[in-house]
Amino acid sequence: MDKNKKSGIIGIIITIIILIVLVACTNSNVNQVSYIENIFNVFVMPIQNGFTYLKNKISGNDTFFADMDTLKQENEQLKQRNSELEQSLRELEIIKADNEKLKEYVNLKDKYSDYETIPADVINRDISNYSSTIVINVGTDDGVQEGMTVIADSGLVGHIISVTSNTAKVQTLVDTASAVTSTISTADDTIVVQGTLDDKTALKATFIPTDAVVLQGDSVETSGIGGIYPKGIHIGTIREVVNTSNITDRYAMVDTAVDFTKLNTVLVITNSDE
Amino acid sequence: MKKVVAVLLIILSFFIIYFLQSNFFTWFTIAKVQPNLFVIFVLLIGLFAGKKLGLVLGIIFGFYLDVVVGRQIGISGIMLGLIGLAGEYLDKNFSKESRITIILMIISSTVVFEVGSYMFSLITLPVTVEIFGFLKILLIETLYNVIVTIIIYPIIQKLGHLLEETFKTRNILTRYF
Repeated sequence: MDKNKKSGIIGIIITIIILIVLVACTNSNVNQVSYIENIFNVFVMPIQNGFTYLKNKISGNDTFFADMDTLKQENEQLKQRNSELEQSLRELEIIKADNEKLKEYVNLKDKYSDYETIPADVINRDISNYSSTIVINVGTDDGVQEGMTVIADSGLVGHIISVTSNTAKVQTLVDTASAVTSTISTADDTIVVQGTLDDKTALKATFIPTDAVVLQGDSVETSGIGGIYPKGIHIGTIREVVNTSNITDRYAMVDTAVDFTKLNTVLVITNSDE
Repeated sequence: MKKVVAVLLIILSFFIIYFLQSNFFTWFTIAKVQPNLFVIFVLLIGLFAGKKLGLVLGIIFGFYLDVVVGRQIGISGIMLGLIGLAGEYLDKNFSKESRITIILMIISSTVVFEVGSYMFSLITLPVTVEIFGFLKILLIETLYNVIVTIIIYPIIQKLGHLLEETFKTRNILTRYF
């Protein structure tokens, strides 16, 4: 019985280790060399620290007999000073964060000065692996309505699909149910960009006209067709064009301008019809 | 009274799980895929506390998730309710004392929930069919759920039996007398 319990605990520990390794391996972009370096460091650093400590002890033993009372007093003063500085640092960090947020709002406002906008913060994100919605902290009380366009500093975010008095749910561009009619800036050709399950940072551009010349790095913007999104809002850039045997089936992958994993501040456009 | 406290604790646990799912597991992912802790949670309620509570709480929790962050209202409520309901039938036919059986139940529940939800979204939303992408996410999500189940198995057993004592005691007595 005791043996079973022991093996159960070992099993759980092994599973946790496997999970951590899986998470680390599948989410990291660091190259193999750094991995090996890190593993090597884990073993070497404690030994190196030990040697350094010993060396410092030996070389610094002449100061060991210094006046202990003075040192203690100094230590107390320094501790107090340290806590005061830490307190100030925390206050400054808060002010800095507020300042950055306000700057972001101002930048956004300047960039899209043609539109009347309402600033908002992202307060919740979708928990499903198959969809991508966000919740923002403005609602009907602030003048937000269903269907309004939501943008961020770098480009289009999505549109509002439902709204309460204080919150609004936004269907992002990368959601699989999202399809936006857009144009390629260099060619003025109309395409449709859709969210995919495979990649939450890219869109699939389909319905590319057969005579259109689509190149890697081309900018993609909203076309204004469809009635939801106003014209000319940046969506992203073409990452690659995938040619198929039938030219009508060819498609392109578009990297979104907005990083949806780090999205915290948005603007809701309230006058896109004007 | 004991039952009311137990239900309140289950609701509190739901919010803790919701917090974990919407914060911790958004970055602690396997290949950008998060586990679905709600499926595990509701199945265990059905399994240990019975089909009535499983069904009712499954529907309420699912409805809440749909309202707060979902794209369409209803499907999570229906699917989680069904999983809660299925919990008791699984309990009658399989032993929940075995780790393997619990894992198999979690696998089947995750697959049923996600396939059902995806089919519903294909019907109701303008979603393009992506079989390969869907299967890839489903596979990783199921694996993640299994790993989570293995890790929390001792907690499942302890809390599960407490739930069972609270909600199923009367049934056992009637069998004896």
